[in-house]
Amino acid sequence: MKISKKIIDNLKKGGVDFYLSVPCKLLANMIDILENDKDVYYSAVPREEEGMGICAGAYLGNKFPCIMMQNTGIGNSVNAIVSLLQLYQMPVVFLISYRGTPGEPVGAQGGMAKITEDILQTLRIPMLHCSSEKELDKISTFSKHAKVVESPVAILCDFNLMKDDK
Amino acid sequence: MNRFDLLNKVQNILKDNLVICNIGLPSQELYKISDQPNFFYMLGSMGLSSSIGLGLALSQNKHVISIDGDGSVLMNMNTLATIGNRAPSNYTLLIIDNGSYGSTGDQRTFTDEKTSLKDVALGAGCKNVIECSGEETINALNKAIDDKDNSYVIISKINSGNVKIDPIPLNPITIRDRFRKFIGKVKYL
Repeated sequence: MKISKKIIDNLKKGGVDFYLSVPCKLLANMIDILENDKDVYYSAVPREEEGMGICAGAYLGNKFPCIMMQNTGIGNSVNAIVSLLQLYQMPVVFLISYRGTPGEPVGAQGGMAKITEDILQTLRIPMLHCSSEKELDKISTFSKHAKVVESPVAILCDFNLMKDDK
Repeated sequence: MNRFDLLNKVQNILKDNLVICNIGLPSQELYKISDQPNFFYMLGSMGLSSSIGLGLALSQNKHVISIDGDGSVLMNMNTLATIGNRAPSNYTLLIIDNGSYGSTGDQRTFTDEKTSLKDVALGAGCKNVIECSGEETINALNKAIDDKDNSYVIISKINSGNVKIDPIPLNPITIRDRFRKFIGKVKYL
């Protein structure tokens, strides 16, 4: 719970006040925290691409949105990211559980893991790659950066960082 | 009645609300009929009009009308489940159902065959679903806006067909900023 609490605390410190998730077991603790947090909006959504649309609307209504998802969700969302969030320059934080990184028991997750950072680079999305607890301290500044540059940003949290967060 | 006729008919209702308008001909036609700062024209991301409107309705108190199409809803059908479970009372989804992909050459959609978006919406958990003719759409919209306790999904069944029209000349940041200024969120314009 310590890691998940630190991530949410840092996102809130960065001004994020509207959260969506397409669940992942590595995000489960964060979802628990958000479901009990009365200060921010939280909902699950069925699909990441749809979540990008809801985040766009939340930004228009002056919220600072975050969508939590597996890295596979980036694959589901490329056009929405480019033709909506980037076209209209909308700041949204992607909080990504980086499935398929070392420690991952499911071999099939390796395919998207191999190309996740390439996709984000191709999309010119600033990335913060968190592989240890210390790096989580950068999340609040990194989130604020999304607003300054009016762009989506991606925070990648490695499998091994999240897996023992009991 | 086609989409252009319908948008003409409901333009006075739209003017008093925040409107998210579907990509392509719906936005181009609305722009031609009456351009307003409180109209957000989608220039990309087909399928997401309902979702953008939902996020906006959840984030502020003004009434939001998402103008969507049958083809677009078919592309993002999970949106009806999210709306059925999460839409606040200041949200109305207006699906202009002409049974065709109007912006791409009027190819038939599945609503022109077996699919009923009304049944899908009801099954997805939307409680107030009105399927009506183009002529009845004004009354349906007024009912949805006047009801301060419930969100609505309106499916307006009209004919296919488009008018000859130009692309929207506004750039995306202009659309974004004047829209946010209208809501009172942009102070620098």
